[in-house]
Amino acid sequence: MTKSWQLSRRSMLRALGASVALPWLEAMQPISPLAVTPKRPKLRAGYIYFPNGVSKGSWEPEKVGRKGELRELSKWMKDLEPFKNDILIGHNIWTPRGNGHGAGTATWLTGGSYSGSRVSAGGTSVDQIIARHVGKDTMLPSLDMSMRGEGYFSNSLPRNSISWVNSKLPATRDTNPRTIYDRMFRKASEGVTDKGVIDLVHDQAKSLKRRVGLADQRKIDEYIEALRAVERRMEFAENQAFKTALSKGERIAFNRPSVEIPDNHEVYMRTMMDLMVLGFWSGATRVGSLMLDHGQSNRYFDFIDGVRGTWHALSHYRDISGKTEDDDGINSWKNVAQKRDMYNAVTAWHHRQFAYMIGKMKGIDEGNGTLLDNTLLLYGSSLGDGHAHGEENLPIIFAGGGGGTVRSGRYLKYRRNYSLSKYHLATMQRMGVPVEEFADADSPMSGLTKNV
Amino acid sequence: MGLVIQKQKLIQVLLIFCLAWLGLVKGMASEVTGVELIKNFCLDCHDGETRKGEVDLEAALNAKPLVKNLDLWKTVINRVENGDMPPKKNDQPSSSKKKDLLKWLNHEVVQFDYSSIDNPGYEQARRLTHIEFSNTLRDLLGLDLNLVADFPIDLSGKSGFDNSANTLFLQPILMERYLSAIDKAVEAVLPLKKNPSENSPVFVVWPSEKGEEPKAASKIINRFLLRAFRRPPTEREINQVWSVYNRSREKKESFAMGMRHAFGAALVSPAFLLKSERTKKTNESYQVDEYEIASRLSYFLWASMPDDELFQLASEKRLAKPKVLAQQVSRMLADSKSETLGSVFAAQWLGFDALGVRVRLDPIDNPWCTDTLMAAMKQESAMGFTSLIRKNKPLSELIQSKTTFVNEELAKFYKLKGVKGDEMRLVAHTDKRRYGLFGQASVLAITSSPYRTSPIRRGEWILDSLLGTPPPPPPSDAGELDEDIEENRKLTFRQKLEMHSKNPRCYSCHREMDPLGFSLENYDWFGRWRSKSRGRSIDSKGRLPSGTEFEGPIGLRKVIVGEKLDDLARQVTRKMLSYALGRQLEYYDVPAVRKILAAFKGDNYRIQTLLSEICSSYPFNFRKNPEFGELVDSKSL
Repeated sequence: MTKSWQLSRRSMLRALGASVALPWLEAMQPISPLAVTPKRPKLRAGYIYFPNGVSKGSWEPEKVGRKGELRELSKWMKDLEPFKNDILIGHNIWTPRGNGHGAGTATWLTGGSYSGSRVSAGGTSVDQIIARHVGKDTMLPSLDMSMRGEGYFSNSLPRNSISWVNSKLPATRDTNPRTIYDRMFRKASEGVTDKGVIDLVHDQAKSLKRRVGLADQRKIDEYIEALRAVERRMEFAENQAFKTALSKGERIAFNRPSVEIPDNHEVYMRTMMDLMVLGFWSGATRVGSLMLDHGQSNRYFDFIDGVRGTWHALSHYRDISGKTEDDDGINSWKNVAQKRDMYNAVTAWHHRQFAYMIGKMKGIDEGNGTLLDNTLLLYGSSLGDGHAHGEENLPIIFAGGGGGTVRSGRYLKYRRNYSLSKYHLATMQRMGVPVEEFADADSPMSGLTKNV
Repeated sequence: MGLVIQKQKLIQVLLIFCLAWLGLVKGMASEVTGVELIKNFCLDCHDGETRKGEVDLEAALNAKPLVKNLDLWKTVINRVENGDMPPKKNDQPSSSKKKDLLKWLNHEVVQFDYSSIDNPGYEQARRLTHIEFSNTLRDLLGLDLNLVADFPIDLSGKSGFDNSANTLFLQPILMERYLSAIDKAVEAVLPLKKNPSENSPVFVVWPSEKGEEPKAASKIINRFLLRAFRRPPTEREINQVWSVYNRSREKKESFAMGMRHAFGAALVSPAFLLKSERTKKTNESYQVDEYEIASRLSYFLWASMPDDELFQLASEKRLAKPKVLAQQVSRMLADSKSETLGSVFAAQWLGFDALGVRVRLDPIDNPWCTDTLMAAMKQESAMGFTSLIRKNKPLSELIQSKTTFVNEELAKFYKLKGVKGDEMRLVAHTDKRRYGLFGQASVLAITSSPYRTSPIRRGEWILDSLLGTPPPPPPSDAGELDEDIEENRKLTFRQKLEMHSKNPRCYSCHREMDPLGFSLENYDWFGRWRSKSRGRSIDSKGRLPSGTEFEGPIGLRKVIVGEKLDDLARQVTRKMLSYALGRQLEYYDVPAVRKILAAFKGDNYRIQTLLSEICSSYPFNFRKNPEFGELVDSKSL
């Protein structure tokens, strides 16, 4: 390991913020020896979803240079200002086959069209395709996380599912920081369900498969796959280097997250973001997704100064009567501008959390650039203008240097609708997935390196 | 003489044959025309390639019989009848062609002869729901451990109940939760420092000395496997689990420890975690085996595993006998475990499972809205439903029962006097307005927005969830109308309704939906009675399209019991059958639904008749392997 890999505990503490209890290893060597090679840190891909769109006009940068350079961001994005050279802001990006609160959420990463009666997202999502290709070398093939939902629709299948193992099988998302942490960093169960038992039930699953009909085999396969994933994780946990790193308690500067989900929404969200950063940094996984809320969040953001009403109600900012079906009946607004500002404040709050996350990633030196330099991040929503349920011009940011394959710091002002699938294709190719097309895209997004 | 008769017979036969032939030709001719017309006027936009509005009529035409896509074709008929389709700007069929098309579609769809169909359907293998997993562990081990609290929530799609195979996914995250839950369960049932509980259903024997151990182990394991797998284990399965036990003993671990390993192996097995049935290799429908009937019964009526009596009857191959089956259904309904028919089935059917989960208030601003209050509200509705079943009341009692279940907190909420303590108990309402389902805070809350009522949502809930007669989808040009409505969002609901009435196509649904909802306006958004809303007095009068005028919840009850009882009965039949089978109903279930419904009605809608008819129905006792096409995708649309 080269010297540049070694980081002091203090710098790591600074990078992640000591307030959030997380594990960092003093030696700062990759936990999994397979994860990162010193020469060329491997690329990671992350997907951060937020619901309800943004208001028209709150996304476009204030000032743009002649070649599209980001000079000054929208005032609602001021928290991202320090990172304007690390991001690309999209214009006229869309998902042609599906959008909105339900279908749009479910197909944000599949590029397909959603069918509720068939329970189908029209294809496998990009993160799961990547996981299939690069995940075999990591503790977890992918990290699929969500903030725990609230209110109506919090158990709605499409609104809670951006990752699909195949078109009919959504990846189950974890909402608890403790269990996410444990899956990455704790040894597998030492109870009675050990490796020997798992071998045995594999055999039982196979004989069960012969006993049932063709129609049932998919479900048995699902069982076998899930078991195999657990088995794999156990094997990784057995890995000697990993064990040494974890067993030396004094090297762990942060504690496991508490069993309970934090009450404070910001602490909770930042903990989840830290976990993704941690997963990427440690090599526990190379692909992750985080839903900042379910696709039609009606959460209250009263803790933001001057904001009242639920997020989804606010997103319909032109209705100020407070009497629509979406409203809660206790809040109304003086005028459209007032309500829109509240809506924008909620969006801006989420931008601030995203800024926190990329700030963390930028603060981690991997020897050959920062963690952010070696990552491709997508941040955005499946709705354009929230009031109009706009299907075009989705709010999308591409962040991270993609291991030197992205020219950041620009406004990607497409003149016509441009499919997000092209970004997905570009990401897969950079991650080493041998694909030539994805959903409606037959060529990768060129804007990541070229002017549009 | 004989000859004459024969001649007559011959003529008769010939005549019938000719008529049949004519009919056939006529049918063919109209089929050809119908298909041609759809090809010419619909497939430009609605072919498999374009699928405009996600409607693929090309695939639907190939899916025979057309009733496979009943809802879709009903919408087609509706759209064509109303002149919405084909769109005005496109070529229009002549009125006679249009008539031919509608005639053919009606013949194939609305008047379809279901008696030609023999298909009991297929219960797909699936994992247990979290509730089933929890209850099954409870009954298997004789311990009530709440081990599912940290499981990722079961998500629901549009496809019915939570026990439907197509939304029960088993992903690594859940598998890890299973493993840790199983570890905890096994540790709880087999303490290392003392002998297990005497009342444990698991340990029919326990060795008192070393020499007894092998025999005891074998006995315990055999019984445990039968109960955990809900069927006799195969020899191979027994040997495998036995080997796990032996491996532990060879490592000098204790008897209890060896048992722990054996139980762990059994519980991680797919035979425990999944609910699956043995498939026979045949194209015909076949009766499911006795153990599978035991499981079908227990997961339907108890949301849990069968008990010893069911296993015993299954082993004697007596369970499928109609008399025995009927006795068992009565016995099972009397058992306290049948409370899941209220707390799971009714809660999901009527939607009150959302309370406290999806519908909950900020406890800081609303200190009165406690978790215990919401739990009591849910329990009231669940216990009310279960009690209808236990007492074999007519279905109308769901709507107009004079009694209900409350505890002190809920009684206070309803302003009922003299109820003390946390325990839910049966009380008689003193206020007529609270009788039946519409007086229950749970359903009133889940059909409201936070802090305000929604008469439209309540009306839609009555039509769609309760009665199964949902308003048809909005007309195809609803977009334009939406904008009108959009601009008028500041109007009151009454005013909106009047605005709708200007547009006959909106009005046709809203005039049915809205009055039903308005009649409950005296209940606020959490089900509390009020006489005024925001300073204005409440108008809860309504008039149905049938002309019936009614007012308030008392009037609404009369309308439902008087005019809509058959709808309610059909809906509860369809919903309960779907829950019993763990799948959505398909077109081929129509004959079974009709048969159950006829018997149900024949007994004045006494509710146990519904349950016993479901349990003795064809789809509940038989299965048929799906055809290959259905396998690939059971719903091609």
